[in-house]
Amino acid sequence: MREEYNSARPMVMHIDLNSCFATIEQQARVGLRGRPIGIVNRNTENTAIVTASYEAKARGVKIGMRLKEARKLCPDIIGIESDPPKYRYVYHKLMEIMSDYSAHFRMKSIDEGVIDFALSPEAIAGRDLVEIGYEIKQRLRDEIGCAMRCNIGIAPNRFLAKTAAGLHKPDGLDVITHENLREVLGTLELQDLTGIAARNEHRLNAVGIYTPLEMLDADVSTLRLAFKSVVGEWWHQRLRGWEVDDVDYELKSCGRQYVLESPHLSRRQIVQRLHHLVESVGAKLRSQGKVARGVSIYVRTYDRGGWKGHELAGLPFFSDQAIWTMAERIFMSAPARGIKMISVTCYHLSDGLGNQLSLFGDQLAREQHVTLAVDEINGRYGPRTIHSADTLGTGIYVKAKIPFGSTRYL
Amino acid sequence: MDSRQEVNERVDVVATFGTGLDICIPRKIRRPNGREIDVTELGLRHPTVYGKRTIHVFEVTDGGSDYRLAFDAERLTWHLTHQMSRDA
Repeated sequence: MREEYNSARPMVMHIDLNSCFATIEQQARVGLRGRPIGIVNRNTENTAIVTASYEAKARGVKIGMRLKEARKLCPDIIGIESDPPKYRYVYHKLMEIMSDYSAHFRMKSIDEGVIDFALSPEAIAGRDLVEIGYEIKQRLRDEIGCAMRCNIGIAPNRFLAKTAAGLHKPDGLDVITHENLREVLGTLELQDLTGIAARNEHRLNAVGIYTPLEMLDADVSTLRLAFKSVVGEWWHQRLRGWEVDDVDYELKSCGRQYVLESPHLSRRQIVQRLHHLVESVGAKLRSQGKVARGVSIYVRTYDRGGWKGHELAGLPFFSDQAIWTMAERIFMSAPARGIKMISVTCYHLSDGLGNQLSLFGDQLAREQHVTLAVDEINGRYGPRTIHSADTLGTGIYVKAKIPFGSTRYL
Repeated sequence: MDSRQEVNERVDVVATFGTGLDICIPRKIRRPNGREIDVTELGLRHPTVYGKRTIHVFEVTDGGSDYRLAFDAERLTWHLTHQMSRDA
């Protein structure tokens, strides 16, 4: 356990597109520039805002707020329905730019990425990283558009680089080193740190830590006591600039949820939308070359209640039909009324479409071939060219949306 | 909400193909009713794929309204898909 601060030259750069989807819409549609806009996943007043432009944020609009609530604070806010292909394009452009500086870059989500310059060629790593940061900002403007802005943070590890990127929004560039670490942390609240939300803040308060500086000064045993696990040790190292976050997490589950478009849908209509979700989850699962053994269904009701059901199969499966057979059976026990949201998740994932499947008989082998043939046709002629007759007409409601968090499906 | 109106009409387009970062820029659009639109700025061009077909989407403005054009790279056709007025 290293007690000292990491005094190495900061070589990690975090790039974060400002209010990403809103900025991209303002870039694309000139008439939206300088105006308060909120990106929503559905064109209704009741839908939650996914991203707000800086003009909207300046008037108190927050992410997660319903559009009609935002309108009370900002009557002229414009709700724009999200356009995922546009955001994917910008994501790939950002990736292209980052890859010019290092082979060791990683996209953390659709709107942020990290470059580790430590393993870059000397001709690049030897350059001033602040200069490279400004160069990347300029390239975003040149190669995507003049309205594009990003925040850049440079530090000895990923956590501090992300912290630095959040210091001066929008369009900031900050560097955290061992020399200004205390000064920077002194300006922040606990919940300003990525990974510290209300629950973790309570844990820290319980051991007498109320500020990031107190957290930095705490010894390992106090932090271990606060988090009741090795997580405390990771925080001890992370805050000192040592790298603990350069890890890849394995895909453990794969799912999708849908907030019903109306509270007045019949059971039959809800089941159709569930079936649509199952086909979408099946395609996601197979796109990652995975098979599953479990299916779980979660239902949220209008009275804020939740219901969950799940089933585990003896053999792995991956076809829409197999997932649907289980999902339909599980959903039969779901609440009869007041359903607001449905979600389907496949779990107990393992690799490969499985040669082992064909060992269990002709029927499974046939199902495997049919599923792959349907995927190939949908890949060639467009999504949902072939789908179950049951889900005919659900496509206008259950549209593909932006995959937050993971970049696996981009 | 958004002032976006679906148009979906086949249009004639004059475009320039250059060597800069924006390789293709639509300059002028003629709608079936004969109305001509002079493009003053290209906001963003992005490709979308529908199966194996690539459609290039151009979001442009004439200074008064914004427009969304779709160029089908396989069929070499232009469609004006949406118009967005600024008085939303």
